[in-house]
Amino acid sequence: MRIVLLVALSLAACRPADHRSGGAASASRSVTDDAGRTVQVPFPATRVVSLAPSLTELVFALGGGSRLVGRTTWCKYPPAAARVPVVGDGLSPNVEAIAARRPDLVLLYQSPLTEAAARQLTQLGIAALILRHDRLSDVGRTARLLGPLVGGPAAGDSIGQIFDSIAASPPPPAQTRVVFVAWDDPPIVLGGGSYLTEVARLGGADNVFHDLAAASATVSLETIAARDPDWVVVVDDSGGDSVRVPHSAYPPPADRPEWQVVRAVRQRRFLVLPGALFGRPSPATPRAVAALRRGLEAAR
Amino acid sequence: MRWSALVGLAVAALLAAVWLGPTPVTDYLHSPIVWQLRLPRALLGFLVGGSLGLAGASLQSLVRNPLADPFLLGLSGGASLGAVIAIAFHLPGPWALPLAAFGGALLAMGLVFRLALAGGAELDPRVLLLGGVAVGAFAGAVTTAIVSLADATELRNAYLWLWGGLSAASWQAVLVLCLYVPLPIVVLLAAAGSLDLLVLGEEPARYLGADVSRVKTRVYVAASLLTAAAVAAAGVIGFVGLIVPHLGRALWGPRHRALLPASLLAGGALLVGADTLARLVVAPRELPVGIVTALVGVPFFVLLLRRWTAY
Repeated sequence: MRIVLLVALSLAACRPADHRSGGAASASRSVTDDAGRTVQVPFPATRVVSLAPSLTELVFALGGGSRLVGRTTWCKYPPAAARVPVVGDGLSPNVEAIAARRPDLVLLYQSPLTEAAARQLTQLGIAALILRHDRLSDVGRTARLLGPLVGGPAAGDSIGQIFDSIAASPPPPAQTRVVFVAWDDPPIVLGGGSYLTEVARLGGADNVFHDLAAASATVSLETIAARDPDWVVVVDDSGGDSVRVPHSAYPPPADRPEWQVVRAVRQRRFLVLPGALFGRPSPATPRAVAALRRGLEAAR
Repeated sequence: MRWSALVGLAVAALLAAVWLGPTPVTDYLHSPIVWQLRLPRALLGFLVGGSLGLAGASLQSLVRNPLADPFLLGLSGGASLGAVIAIAFHLPGPWALPLAAFGGALLAMGLVFRLALAGGAELDPRVLLLGGVAVGAFAGAVTTAIVSLADATELRNAYLWLWGGLSAASWQAVLVLCLYVPLPIVVLLAAAGSLDLLVLGEEPARYLGADVSRVKTRVYVAASLLTAAAVAAAGVIGFVGLIVPHLGRALWGPRHRALLPASLLAGGALLVGADTLARLVVAPRELPVGIVTALVGVPFFVLLLRRWTAY
């Protein structure tokens, strides 16, 4: 309950300072981004470059897909994003390639690796917003911030309301305990600071490493064995869009001798989540939660 | 006395590695955590650390350079490149990465070896060093190019593997190493007498009856094969092969008959001890063991340097 309250509070506290500063079509408005920078953003923005897969997906969901003139190599969702030209990587962005698309707004992922690019873009007279988009609570907030700029305020608000109501309703009691395995050697698991831990909780599953504050961490195998999860959950980016319990061609930990000490690996209790739906925080979170819940019920 | 202390230290490190861990174990005799994870990991750590210590001691004498360590001669660069290729191209199976690293190390070794023969029929230690650095730097550049083009999670995983760790330890890995390492170890130990002569310089060694050309080739190949196996099993673990031989020289003197086995035991003990710390200090998280060997080893090394320069 306390967590829900915190999420709700942070949603309320993080409402953007989107006070209007003009009425003309080619006006601009002042927006405070997640790095605390106050940026004059053209309103509405007509040529947008998005440098994070989750932000690209959000812009499409807000109805602004046709305004995207640049994306990263890794922006693959929704499928329509494939038609947007690639401008390079999201981290350590190629400012020249971005500027060549003549954008009036660039969306950057919050990271020390993107701050220099944001400065350079500002010097070129291109509005650049640094946005944090890692957790459930970030989706609604960012949707409300970007909605008026790239789509319509109504779209941003409706997504925001969906996430408000998710935050306001208590998660169901945990039916099962899972470990999210991001890598097998060294063993890297997702911790409590990850988006998927939030999705799991909403879907009725408890991440056995929810006590780790980090989004992911290298842990010792014996800790995984001792915490004894019921399921080993992996995200699969190789296509497919349904949650599945494989009966052959198991994910990598299955073949590793040292992983056999983990009961769920020994018993081949793997849950494979499609990257298309679970790969990043997105407006499709409610669908992801429902798919996970169905998958867990079918597997039980 | 010194020998029993060293053997005691090695045994204590192994026992501590099995005894201590992030999760409490009640029934040590029947716990799968002890038998399937801690014990093979301790043994693998000992084999890898011992190999690095021995390879480092032999190579320092071969190239007559106190800075030499098993990875200076380009092997870490080659192994890293192999590993990153395995990750970037999604080669399947648990053995793909160690085999690719092993192959990369052997390739680098062959290249450096060929370079060092360029001047004539005999290995030139100076060219060996320079060639090793050059091949290592080139492989490093290719590795970085691949990593910078890979996506973010692959990039991180590649770097984590490169920093080294024993988390992939299993009985299979221990068995493979147990079958593999005895031959190069015996070759190096057998070269102890010739290495004593070789550190005097190649000409004096020749006058004193050493078959210099053959010794150089044997020591280089055996030490490189040991390092390649170590890197395939546990990634690039720094400082063990640099510090342990110097420690051995400080305590046992320069005679290789004592220095080489002492480096083997001390290298094993150091890596097993460092790995126990890596598993414990941030539990349930884990540090890359190479970071711990550096954190523990470098201050020790600095003390040692101060003692030398005080004379």
